[in-house]
Amino acid sequence: MMRFMMTLLAALTLWAMPALAQGNGPLRIEITEGVIEPMPFAVPDFVSDSAAGQELGRNIASVIAADLTGTGLFRQIPNSAHISRITSFDSPVQYADWRAINAQALITGAVSTDGAGRIVAKFRIYDVFSGQELGAGQQLVGTQDGWRRIAHKVADQVYSRITGEGGYFDSRVVFVAESGPKDQRAKRLGIMDYDGANVQYLTDSTSIVLAPRFSPTGDRVLYTSYETGFPRIYVLDVASVGRRELPTQDATMSFAPRFSPNGRTVVYSLTQGGNTDLYTMDIGTGASSRLTTAPSIETAPSYSPDGSQIVFESDRSGTPQLYIMAAGDGEARRISFGEGRYGTPVWSPRGDLVAFTKQSKGRFHIGVMRTDGSEERLLTASFLDEGPTWAPNGRVIMFTRETQGEQGQASLYSVDITGRNLKQVPTSTGASDPSWSPLQN
Amino acid sequence: MTYLSKTLILCAGLALAACTNPNRFDDGNAVDLNNGAGAGLAGSAQDPSSPAYFQQTVGDRVLFAVDQSTLGSEAQVTLDGQANWLMTNRDFTAVIEGHADEQGTREYNLALGARRANAVQEYLIGRGVSPNRLRVVSYGKERPIEICSNEACYAKNRRAVTVLAAGLGS
Amino acid sequence: MNTGQIISGAGHLALISWALFGGVFRSDPPPFEVVEATTISTEEFAALLARQSAPEAVANVDTPEPPAPGDAAPPLASTPDTPPESTPPPAQETAPPDSAPDVTEITPPAPAEVTDTAPVLEPPQEDVAVVVPEVSPRPKPRPAPRVAPEAVAPPEPDVRIDEVAQPEVAPDEGAEVPQEPAEATAQEEAATEIVTEAEESKDTAPTSSLRPKPRPSRPVAQAETPKPAETPKPATTETPKPAAPATDQSAVNDALAAALGTSQNTNTAPSGPPLTSGEKDALRVAVQQCWNVGSLSTEALGTTVVVSVRMGEDGKPDNGSIRMDSFSGGGDAAARQAFEAARRAIIRCGANGFNLPPEKYDQWRDIEMTFNPESMRIK
Repeated sequence: MMRFMMTLLAALTLWAMPALAQGNGPLRIEITEGVIEPMPFAVPDFVSDSAAGQELGRNIASVIAADLTGTGLFRQIPNSAHISRITSFDSPVQYADWRAINAQALITGAVSTDGAGRIVAKFRIYDVFSGQELGAGQQLVGTQDGWRRIAHKVADQVYSRITGEGGYFDSRVVFVAESGPKDQRAKRLGIMDYDGANVQYLTDSTSIVLAPRFSPTGDRVLYTSYETGFPRIYVLDVASVGRRELPTQDATMSFAPRFSPNGRTVVYSLTQGGNTDLYTMDIGTGASSRLTTAPSIETAPSYSPDGSQIVFESDRSGTPQLYIMAAGDGEARRISFGEGRYGTPVWSPRGDLVAFTKQSKGRFHIGVMRTDGSEERLLTASFLDEGPTWAPNGRVIMFTRETQGEQGQASLYSVDITGRNLKQVPTSTGASDPSWSPLQN
Repeated sequence: MTYLSKTLILCAGLALAACTNPNRFDDGNAVDLNNGAGAGLAGSAQDPSSPAYFQQTVGDRVLFAVDQSTLGSEAQVTLDGQANWLMTNRDFTAVIEGHADEQGTREYNLALGARRANAVQEYLIGRGVSPNRLRVVSYGKERPIEICSNEACYAKNRRAVTVLAAGLGS
Repeated sequence: MNTGQIISGAGHLALISWALFGGVFRSDPPPFEVVEATTISTEEFAALLARQSAPEAVANVDTPEPPAPGDAAPPLASTPDTPPESTPPPAQETAPPDSAPDVTEITPPAPAEVTDTAPVLEPPQEDVAVVVPEVSPRPKPRPAPRVAPEAVAPPEPDVRIDEVAQPEVAPDEGAEVPQEPAEATAQEEAATEIVTEAEESKDTAPTSSLRPKPRPSRPVAQAETPKPAETPKPATTETPKPAAPATDQSAVNDALAAALGTSQNTNTAPSGPPLTSGEKDALRVAVQQCWNVGSLSTEALGTTVVVSVRMGEDGKPDNGSIRMDSFSGGGDAAARQAFEAARRAIIRCGANGFNLPPEKYDQWRDIEMTFNPESMRIK
């Protein structure tokens, strides 16, 4: 009891001293609970002095709005609700008018065309409630055809300036376009903007093609094709659409390729005598080396962003699980311990998380976990979800979702790593196996 | 019902199913003769040396349990027949295609299909078929033969099919 | 009456009783929400209640928000395949489809064969029988586009969405002070945590085994949160209650302030007594309603910022005075975004003045707010 009193006394003294010393200091409160909701923003049409420019300005504004809204972090206040109109890029902003409609961020811009196919776009971002411009205004120059990219770049700047996250709108996705019934499905490689616009096809559909993967600079694509009748790995140059086969061993199957972060090495699966193991190949010299020798299946390898480690899928424990090994040696440690089967791990570009496919109780999930296997979090659930790929900023995951039954179709979906904002990526045909490019230059 | 009659019915059913989509695979250098049986006795199922006979009477495929690549006794009977036929008809080579059902990731299923095809290849080699007449390939879950999403179809999709090709060319 | 009807009947009954009585359970705060509640003494709670129940007609009347119903209530995240109830449990490997027809062959003699074939008729897999949805210990939070400390049911369609819920105020003839009429507002529908598709469908998963929890429970995380501004931990020994630092601190604060009142008053201007914890909590609640961390990067969500603001006597913040004193946990850029979100919170919710006692102005002329998003990060 005595001891307790002493402690109390000491505590009181300790407490009282700073309190007395601080006198009439500021009132201190701590805020730990907040809300999570999309931030309302307004993006009036970009102003222009020509009729053609005005249409462009309207289109650019609508793509910016779609980009921001599509993140789930922002909510557009429609133009019809705007009180003041932006008629000149340089006239002062009437903050009160924007506050009145609760626009917390305002994006204004101007676009001009030089008549020779080039456009110049300027934009500014405002924090309406503090009445300040966020950062300095910027100017972008591009081609008339590339107006969507200009819009994406503006949206990337806005997103990045407000959230602090890197942007991801000016990026592309390579995927497998699918058509035809399930048992005769035709597949070919397609490439498109992240939002589904500007689709081009890179191969025809005479052979099955699988799982394209972008190089770290986005200029090349690795994929698996059956054009010889056997699955083999090819590397394709996106600009020229030229391709060549990777010189893997004869009489083997090779698949599941991915680039190393420096773009010089490919890690892949090779099957020989029914046994699938991991190999790497120097893409310049064609020299290969074997990483694993277990009699189990080792597949779906993916490098860490620093290139030092590889995460992969193996059924050495009896069911498919995730393992991490050093990029040079075969010692692997298991990281997945939840109930169910794990596959197609992909290291996030930030390096902190691994996205994966999980099969449990007859359903498929896309999930993320830390690289030590902790904090597993399932983001989706459906009949069949698989093959996650990371947005360049590591905040969003795109994946394949296939519907059930005889009319089953594959399509692409994206989801925020918080599990919010699950939505389908618009594609004109069936689509699977997305791979997200880095941000374009 | 005897095993034999079951097998016969199964084979006939599968043969019919297979007939719905000739040229379903893109085997660049393997000539798929299984479905190409023309008119006349020589190519018909009654001719024991015809690919049609191999496909329908001997049975060109074996089925597997979930996640498994081991050959059950029923499969071994079929494969014994295949081995005998291949030993008799030495002009043919074969590509063994391994398949998986749609439950599983694309990559894992490719590897699993390869295991299944390999199990068949090793069995046939064990029965005397020359290794250089056999090749294996896996389609994973890319080419289901049945397209419903339940076990009735999955069971038929977890298969290894021995596809005949003419000559020792490939 | 066949089994199907019985199961269906039971299911409907369960559904109806949930619909009838589910609300009863829901009104119980979910376990992890209790953490916040235990830090408030009854007295403080009463003060809070009193404060909140008083209709604050003036707040926010001058901010007409566009109706835009489509925007205000984004559609619930329901995807075509979400109703998992309809998907039958996957047929198990073990039941060969042709085992049932075989039964007919049993009728002819051959008793020996009967014993052989009988085992083929396997009892149905336990999964197959589980059609009844799992009885979850508490109603699951439904997914909503907004996540807030308190769950908010979807508002009436014609009610304006606002940060602060307030009752409708009609002009009252008899009142001494004429109140301005104000349209009723409600807070936007909100869930207390992010509900992913995977978690949503958890309810319908068969009960056969427990799914591992995808993340650590929040109370633990909160308990570990260091409260930067407090030094004297031992103060909690005064009360038998387990550590509830924030408000215990202020309770002690109050008591000591009363005890030491004379000495403190000697060196301060006429400032009135310090704010009660109820008053401080009201301010905290007012600010947190506008603190939207939904558009922050994951790094900014790991950054605590200390923001100071000078207040006007009308309870409105001097917007130009808001500045970041310090930050921890993230880089400069993340701190900037975190600060901007904090600044927006103070300005937006302070636009009509915080409800602070004017006689204690000196006590709250300068406010230092610590915005710690730790517990928001994994919602």
